[in-house]
Amino acid sequence: MATVDRPWMAFEPNDDALPFRATMSSVGVKVPATRVTTAELMAGTRHRTGIELERLTGIHARHVAPDGEDSYTLAVGAARDCLSRTPYSGADLDMVITTSITKYRDGYTQRLEPPLSLAVKSAIGAPRATSFDLSNACAGMLTGVFVLNDFIRRGEIRRGLVVSGESISQLGRNAATQVRGVLSRQLASLTLGDAGAAVLVERAGPDSAGIAVAGFTTLSEHSRLCLGYPSHVGPGASMYTQARAIHRVAIDRAPALVQEALDVAGLGLDEIDYFIPHQTSARAIRTGVAEFAERLGVRPRHVVVNVEEYGNTSSTTHFVALDRYLREGRFRRGERALLLALASGLEIGVVIVTVDELVASWES
Amino acid sequence: MGVVIRSVGLSRPGRLAGHGARRLADAAARSCLDEAGIPADDVDLLVNAGVYRERGLGEPALAALIQEDVEANVGRPDRHDHGTFSFDIDNGACGVLTGVHVTHGLLLSGAIRRALVVASDSGPGPVHARWMPYDEGGGAVLLECDDGVAGFGDVKLATFPEYDALLQGYWTWEERSGHRPGRHDGRNRLVVEERSGFRARAAECAVETVGKMLADAGVTADEIDLLVATPEAEFGDPVAAGLGVPTARVMHLGEQTNRLHTAQPAAAVAAAMRTGRWDESRTVLFVSAGAGITIATALYRH
Repeated sequence: MATVDRPWMAFEPNDDALPFRATMSSVGVKVPATRVTTAELMAGTRHRTGIELERLTGIHARHVAPDGEDSYTLAVGAARDCLSRTPYSGADLDMVITTSITKYRDGYTQRLEPPLSLAVKSAIGAPRATSFDLSNACAGMLTGVFVLNDFIRRGEIRRGLVVSGESISQLGRNAATQVRGVLSRQLASLTLGDAGAAVLVERAGPDSAGIAVAGFTTLSEHSRLCLGYPSHVGPGASMYTQARAIHRVAIDRAPALVQEALDVAGLGLDEIDYFIPHQTSARAIRTGVAEFAERLGVRPRHVVVNVEEYGNTSSTTHFVALDRYLREGRFRRGERALLLALASGLEIGVVIVTVDELVASWES
Repeated sequence: MGVVIRSVGLSRPGRLAGHGARRLADAAARSCLDEAGIPADDVDLLVNAGVYRERGLGEPALAALIQEDVEANVGRPDRHDHGTFSFDIDNGACGVLTGVHVTHGLLLSGAIRRALVVASDSGPGPVHARWMPYDEGGGAVLLECDDGVAGFGDVKLATFPEYDALLQGYWTWEERSGHRPGRHDGRNRLVVEERSGFRARAAECAVETVGKMLADAGVTADEIDLLVATPEAEFGDPVAAGLGVPTARVMHLGEQTNRLHTAQPAAAVAAAMRTGRWDESRTVLFVSAGAGITIATALYRH
């Protein structure tokens, strides 16, 4: 890693200061089979909105949890899927961090305590693992990776699981009763889809490039641009978003922070093979990437856009995208992925990882 | 090198701190930073560990709002300066010690230099909750590295899921009768239920967990000078008895603070500092019990 004077983002120090390196060695998802197209969702709005949501966002459909599925079942399903491609069982995990925004069990009952992680680790047979929940909006899973990276690099633990189950499309159903036009602050709720995702982070082998950098910051002067609460119109929650303002801030601030992460890692953007931003809308990602290219002078080689089939699955988007690319065999050993978190808060995080172990998990 | 408590801040609802978990967390954080004489911009990591908050905010992390309120690096990122990173830890009444667990490593590894762990709770008001077993209040703990051997040892967490029904807090939708077909008519309500027997069971779990931790650390019960056990009421004395620590060494809290929830560890440390017991104690044992049942425990040495 290159030396950067007291960076703005919180990063681990350089390689020499810590005994180990961490890597992502498996990703798992659980996506419900039930699909709702954008046309179907918009046909069910209470008011005649005139919103061309699919054209605006590129989202054709999202998967939605049927009765009997909730945040807990999606998280457990993803955790099991993740472990199924490893030699490990739950008993081998040292830490389980659950990062869902939605913590629904038994319908739309939002569980605050005991933490959802307790139920997840019981379900996957990980009684020995330290467990807790971590909340950081759509940056939750990558924040969990940031935390595990620290524990693993210091040698305090050997492996841990970050898992999230987002049964969040209900926010869209609540929004559908209230949205009247394209300027509605609940418009972003109509883009949400359900998914569970999990990532195994563990101590990297001596020849592994692993996680090159994991860094985060909070631009809190924008903390109130997206707020989610238990709804007053129906079960579950409602979310109020100033989407254009968030987009403006993100494309203004994120390029310099990504450059800082690349500098800390000693990498250039041209050495990143896959750029995986938080998946909100295809149009937002396209304009954001154009701004990146202009500011940083290089266009990422591949930009992963996954929203057409899944919508915005909140804290799980990066790992739903990784899983899809792994299933489709698109990654090659030695390639690097840059995962960019942009979330309410406003949270900006960067994780750069070489995908060798993830590719290997699909070869065995 | 150790991770030490630089200062502690507390807040109670009233004219100065206002009401609601966010304002109480803001006030506790400001008090903590004032006590240390540290500007908010010097906080690299802000972790909020509170559970109950007005309106049940689920997104963003409440920590981000607190960061903005206390004005910790709210300006444009500068390549020659450092920022603040904020997120929430949700682990019930073990939240503060879990926050210490997470920040401890980041401090030791040099990823951050100072961390502020904040916790506060408030009910959502009578419309959305029939009853809250906890008092409103906030606490904050400023952590930093010290070149000596003082400070927190490793935090140990253990869970006993067979008792997960004894303490539960959740938001749930309650339909009102006579609603119009096809439309929801009701409201989301916060329910917090602590069943009888929770604290006795929690004490048993704590004695088991702490006993193992002390044995691993080679520390005997008579070396414990101060026991910060939270919740203090109906938990602290049974834990002390089970471990063989004289109950006089338990940090007993007055009525002002013994019904706090996640902020209680900060309140206990503040009380110990105020009475001089903190500085007099070479070895402090922290143990918190939360829903799950979850036990968090750590030693702190002076």
